Amino acid sequence: MRIFRKRIPEYLITLFAIITLNFFIPRIMPGDPFTFVSSEENSVSTVYTDEEVARLKAYYGLDKPLPEQYLNYLGNTLRGDFGYSIYFNDTVLNLVGGRIVYTLPIAISSLLLSCLLGCLIGCMSAYKRSGIFDRVSYALITIFSQIPSFLIGVFFLFFLAGKLGWFPLSGAMKAFATYESGFEKLRDILYHAFLPVLTLTLAHIGEFYLLSRNSMISVLSKDYIVTARAKGLLKKRVLYVHALKNAMLPIITRLCMSLGTIFGGAVLIENVFNYPGLGTLMRQAITYRDYTLIQGIFLFFAFTVLVMNMIADIIYGKLDPRVEL
Amino acid sequence: MNKGAITLQDVSVTYRTPVCETNAVSGMSFTLEQGGRLGIIGESGSGKTTTSLAIMGLLGKYADVSGQIFYNDIDIQAITDARRDDFRWKKIAIVFQNSLDILNPVLTVREQIIECIDRHMHFSKDKAAARMAELLNEVGLDPKWAESYPNQLSGGMRQRVLIAMALSCDPEVLIVDEPTTALDAIAKSEIIGLIDRLQKEKNFSLIVSSHEMSTIQKLTDQTMVMYLGNVVEYGKTEDVIFSPTHPYTRGLINSSTQINSFRDLWGIPQEDVPYNSIGCPFRSRCSQCIDMCAKVKPQLKECGECHAVACNRGGVVKVMEGCGISKDFYVKGRKVAACRNVDICIRSGEVVALIGESGSGKTTLANILCGMLEKDGGEVVYEGEKLRGFAATRRQGGVQITFQDSFSSINEHFTIFQAIEEPLKLLKIGTPEERLEMVTQVLRDVQLPSDECFYLKKCFMLSGGQRQRVAIARSLVMKPKLLIADEISSMLDPSTQANILRLLKGLQNSKGFSMLYITHDLSLARKIADRVYIMKNGEIIEEGSALSVFQHPNSEYTKRLLMCADL
Repeated sequence: MRIFRKRIPEYLITLFAIITLNFFIPRIMPGDPFTFVSSEENSVSTVYTDEEVARLKAYYGLDKPLPEQYLNYLGNTLRGDFGYSIYFNDTVLNLVGGRIVYTLPIAISSLLLSCLLGCLIGCMSAYKRSGIFDRVSYALITIFSQIPSFLIGVFFLFFLAGKLGWFPLSGAMKAFATYESGFEKLRDILYHAFLPVLTLTLAHIGEFYLLSRNSMISVLSKDYIVTARAKGLLKKRVLYVHALKNAMLPIITRLCMSLGTIFGGAVLIENVFNYPGLGTLMRQAITYRDYTLIQGIFLFFAFTVLVMNMIADIIYGKLDPRVEL
Repeated sequence: MNKGAITLQDVSVTYRTPVCETNAVSGMSFTLEQGGRLGIIGESGSGKTTTSLAIMGLLGKYADVSGQIFYNDIDIQAITDARRDDFRWKKIAIVFQNSLDILNPVLTVREQIIECIDRHMHFSKDKAAARMAELLNEVGLDPKWAESYPNQLSGGMRQRVLIAMALSCDPEVLIVDEPTTALDAIAKSEIIGLIDRLQKEKNFSLIVSSHEMSTIQKLTDQTMVMYLGNVVEYGKTEDVIFSPTHPYTRGLINSSTQINSFRDLWGIPQEDVPYNSIGCPFRSRCSQCIDMCAKVKPQLKECGECHAVACNRGGVVKVMEGCGISKDFYVKGRKVAACRNVDICIRSGEVVALIGESGSGKTTLANILCGMLEKDGGEVVYEGEKLRGFAATRRQGGVQITFQDSFSSINEHFTIFQAIEEPLKLLKIGTPEERLEMVTQVLRDVQLPSDECFYLKKCFMLSGGQRQRVAIARSLVMKPKLLIADEISSMLDPSTQANILRLLKGLQNSKGFSMLYITHDLSLARKIADRVYIMKNGEIIEEGSALSVFQHPNSEYTKRLLMCADL
């Protein structure tokens, strides 16, 4: 495929830039991992002696000059070795892998849900433009999308979980539970994931609604829609084949691009619901200045966004014959 | 019952937006029988496309449609959109104006053609594919293009796809909107040939809207001329093109390079005023507008067999008409017939060329027409009244004549101002100050200096070209409706001649007077004339539109003239 020949170098350069930034950013932050390494959150920190810190720094290679650290880091990363978490005493790969299984499902399912719902309402809004439905949904969704997602999360946690007790307050599964069947386990997982997914979906529905509504409105005024109507085609074909196929183009791009932002959203939401995903891990990693772990998580996020960009490029090229890749 | 007949009864379309209302079509009525070919012509914005969309029932919610549109017996306005979908495309199909966005950019040609067949014909998959290939072949497009996307096609190919798509369900009525815009000459003639051939083979009813006269001429039998949403003329295409009755139609034809291949191009003076449906929509650009035109909206009235015109004055009016004019001179007792039973007619806003060799009686005729010479027989009618003596020349808005020899037609001891002011002074028109204003204005019109040190010069100080301009200015200061120009350029050098002629034609176009241009120069006549009279030995031996006389001369004499002039 031509795209690989043309675009891959671009992606590689971007990746290199990301890895470099990724190396320097944690080191610019004030503080270092050994301040916190033996203390729990919210407790009095025990402080290392200078000798111990020097020994640990030597152990993790942090005493070497920055260029040398950087070159080591590059080499290791390329070999697939993302390092060892200073705080958790485990490889970064293991840690991220263990958490991703929680974050990825809620991120992706809420992304798909918000896209689907947003587009559905957006298309209906555009089709009946200036009607009651359009006005009401437009007003509600624009107001709603201004509320930060963690506020929505806190609200749900407070009312639906705390006050009404319909949903669990935290976690991804019931603690110390044993399940009789896989189905029951799945039910419990879904039950715990419900509020985080709902919150994330609501937080992102606005952008898809507005995008699909605008896109659909501009498509519906195009000449080819008049052509399609003149052909006497059924309304659903005009709307879902002629209009939606064109209106989908910017939506698909946004969908792929949104994965990055939805990870960002997940970080906040997971902390609200104390959900054991990458978000909570990241907060901990930052608190403890766990350079290697921060780098690993950032790298993972950046890499995912890049891959999604590439997928968006490919899909766009497939959907729109006018785009030359 | 006729199949595929379209009838419009008093259809008006108004676009309503919160800020304004636009009358896109008002009071349109026509009937198109099965197999009929109707052309709608007009400048952009005249309501052609709106009419097509109204017939298809495709106008959006901002358009108010009144009146009735019938397809056979079905009132399109009265039925639901879903019911309309059943015969849209199947019975009435449309070839939209070609633009990049008219085909869906993300669907292949195949998908876009097959979906029509699927919707209306209920063919099997194979049969539909075969039908599509057949259609593409029919419009002269290789079926391999079926897999392409619209952006991969050229403009001509896209037009063919649009036609194939429109014919996919064998419609009874085909509406074609601007089939040739943005196509090169070869593609244009191919597309016109294609539509013509398909119509003859399949005998569908055809409505073609276009702003190109030549397209309408080749594709239609009946033509409707639209201006700002109003039908201003209706008739057989041939009649409309070769004897246009409405001043607007004539203007359109004069602006068409295809129909008007030799003449200079002169568009209709552009002076659109916002039209609010009171009075005649064309009045601001019309050369024969009268007071009534601002108050009364003209209705279509018969003006010949199957020919109707919407004009308060019944179409282009005859400014001057001469019937059976004859004049004999006696030279040493010998009778010379200078005019023998001459009929001549000059209509408003047109340039008529009177062509003939010297001694054929042209100047005699001109002098009789303006009243300078007594005629022996016949009569001259100016604006409906019989002329006697100088009745037409000694008034503003009458007839003026400019002579061949400006050295002798102007008293060379007059100043320029005196020469031009004289007719006003004699007729006691205006105060001296107003007269000065009129003279300087007319000097500017003929592109001479209008300052004091120029117009106080004596006429003998002027060159031939300048004198002729002064002579023209003297005529124009009387605001004539008819200017008779008798060989005005024959004594001038070619460059001055060209300048004077362009000046005169420009003035004629902007001020809208008629002109009788007397000349022996055929190439010149062909450049400027709408109609031509050929005169020989005191008789008119041929007359007609400039195009027909120069392209298909009837008389031997004309043919010889054309041959000698290398035309």
